[in-house]
Amino acid sequence: MSIMELNGGSVIAMVGKDCVAIAADMRLGNQALGISSKFERIFPVTDRIYLGLPGLATDVATLRERFRFRVNMYTIKEEREIQPETFAHLVSSTLYEHRFGPYFIEPVMAGISKTPSGAVKPFIAATDLIGCLNFAKDFVVAGTASTKLYGVAEGLWEPDLEPEDLFETISQTLLNATDRDAFSGWGCIVHIITKDKVVTRTLKGRMD
Amino acid sequence: MPDMVSIAQPIQQSFNPYTENGGTILAIAGADFSVIAGDTRQSEGYNIQTRYAPKVFRLTDKAVLAVNGFAADGNMFVKKVRQRLEWYRHAHAKDMPIRAIARLIQTMLYARRFFPYYVYNILGGIEEDGTGAVYSFDPVGSYEREACRAAGAAQSLVQPFLDNQIYFKNQTPAPGTSFPAHLPLQTVLSLVIDSFTSATERHIEVGDGLEIYVVVAKGSTSAQGLQNLRGVQELTATDDGERVFVVRRELKKD
Amino acid sequence: MDHFPTNWGRPRNDAFDAYGTYPIAQRPKNDAFSAGVQHTQQPIVTGTSVLAIKYKDGIMMAADNLASYGSLARFKDIQRLHAVGDNTVIGAGGDMSDFQYIQTILDELMIDEFTSGDHQTLGPAEIHEYLSQIMYARRSKMNPLWNSLLVGGFKDGQRFLAYVDLLGTTYSASTLATGYGSYIAQPLLRKAVEGYEDVLTEEEALKIIENSMRVLYYRDARSLNKYQVATITEKGVTISESRQLETSWSFAEGIRGYGAQTQ
Repeated sequence: MSIMELNGGSVIAMVGKDCVAIAADMRLGNQALGISSKFERIFPVTDRIYLGLPGLATDVATLRERFRFRVNMYTIKEEREIQPETFAHLVSSTLYEHRFGPYFIEPVMAGISKTPSGAVKPFIAATDLIGCLNFAKDFVVAGTASTKLYGVAEGLWEPDLEPEDLFETISQTLLNATDRDAFSGWGCIVHIITKDKVVTRTLKGRMD
Repeated sequence: MPDMVSIAQPIQQSFNPYTENGGTILAIAGADFSVIAGDTRQSEGYNIQTRYAPKVFRLTDKAVLAVNGFAADGNMFVKKVRQRLEWYRHAHAKDMPIRAIARLIQTMLYARRFFPYYVYNILGGIEEDGTGAVYSFDPVGSYEREACRAAGAAQSLVQPFLDNQIYFKNQTPAPGTSFPAHLPLQTVLSLVIDSFTSATERHIEVGDGLEIYVVVAKGSTSAQGLQNLRGVQELTATDDGERVFVVRRELKKD
Repeated sequence: MDHFPTNWGRPRNDAFDAYGTYPIAQRPKNDAFSAGVQHTQQPIVTGTSVLAIKYKDGIMMAADNLASYGSLARFKDIQRLHAVGDNTVIGAGGDMSDFQYIQTILDELMIDEFTSGDHQTLGPAEIHEYLSQIMYARRSKMNPLWNSLLVGGFKDGQRFLAYVDLLGTTYSASTLATGYGSYIAQPLLRKAVEGYEDVLTEEEALKIIENSMRVLYYRDARSLNKYQVATITEKGVTISESRQLETSWSFAEGIRGYGAQTQ
């Protein structure tokens, strides 16, 4: 069986009007056997950037620490907070360093960047397990439920959603996609990032 | 002369009698109508064989069958089902009811249990009591009656969307209200078109054209809004009361 | 007379114990009794692409005259287009012996139909349906006729163009191509024909076909610059004499390892 499907799990990120959302399920499994329903796979990178790491659970832990280290080094050297675009390239190059023995993770990131004029710009991106970047304008998905997420998101998403509507859209997308995926589910977590706050909600999901 | 003897067997790459021809089908049952749809692209690998190969077939005025998988098996299966329905008509002087067609399809598929028709079937139409029906089958004949079902290349994209929009899964009705058990025809048609445009966007084997069959029960008002729909054509052949329409739409060709 | 029953029904082949030195029990397993019938498991003498398009007056179809034996250009004067009755042409890629067998079947069929004396003749649609049933029946017996066939025709003012292959897969479109043609010629044909089916003249259609055959000859190593063109119109079937393709290889001079080497 594929290593990418050993532990299961899925992540999705969406763009809204001056906001972004990122959400993931909370299942950790060993193939078909469910192990935990409290597994975290989305981590804050800065106040305004969140990173989702679906894939092999052991690599989730490793990459989380690795990115924490690299972002800290960046902050110390540059004496400023990392921008989402820069972080996306950091993720990409970190993964490509292991081109021929990759981490089995397909990262998804969401953030808000502040332009010099003070305006805010929503940002989402995803890469494959060797760091090929995908800057989408609408939504990005990854994990064992990715095909389902694509289908539902393509049907539900629309441009310029306000934060509360974006929350409803991403939640419905994730919930309904993971309900059709045997390796994802067991509860969800959703982060809505706006320019001055992040709202985090956990959702009850089907436990079968 | 030992070197004149060849015991070694020739290397045989055994013949594979199956292939996959892509595409997606979908059916939704309403209270007194049924909608059965499929795209019209036929492909093999990355090759588009044709942009118009129907996957949805009118069987009677109350039953429409959609077939998806290996196209040669699909066409042959539809041919055999139609032949059996014609024999039934000659024997009983009426069209076979849809629940009987469903059971017939099960036995026909299971008869080939050890050399299956590599086809996913969805049967839609009107039940004898006038309700809209959808029956879905696996290639060896397992079947059930449902309210909605997607099958084929983009099943995994479409089915969870339908769960959400048809069954209202993961949604809670406003206090004191409840979700409708069946949706009106206009809503269903919009969802079908949205499902296929979404699938076309994200799946390379889906696209080119869309054929939506609508079967309407005797005396239903659902047929009224249908006449002035863009690209609609009536296919009703009998005066039993049920009516069959087809709506043809374009899908992206890339 | 060969008195070893195990040799009956098998091709004579000196590599397979011509003197019967092996006891019967130890013979190779595929003898006349365990596998009395030989199934085509792979094509032997093969034809490459067939192209066909719809145009104003009917259908135009083309195939080259080569039948290959693996990479050997074995037979250079083989007809791969075959008229069936007065309204239909079939063109074949794949195994040529299977194709010639198909020709005999269809010719017999046409005679049978003629002798029934009802003055009805099978048109292209009927011949394609019949052929599809044969191809599908043979694949279902795990004993396919190893071909991809195009059926083109014109009857009762209607153009007909369809495909059928060894799996029984069928489809129809205004341009069709088999084999390498489906990769190389089909995009060219679609660009030139789709939307113009009812306005293309015979001259224009011929130009499109000829150009596609030339591109195929440049890129398909199993093709030949000698080919035939069939037209099926209201007036009936014509299959041309073999014609040569005009080709130009001067470009090769400039490519190292392609043209003649000077150093």
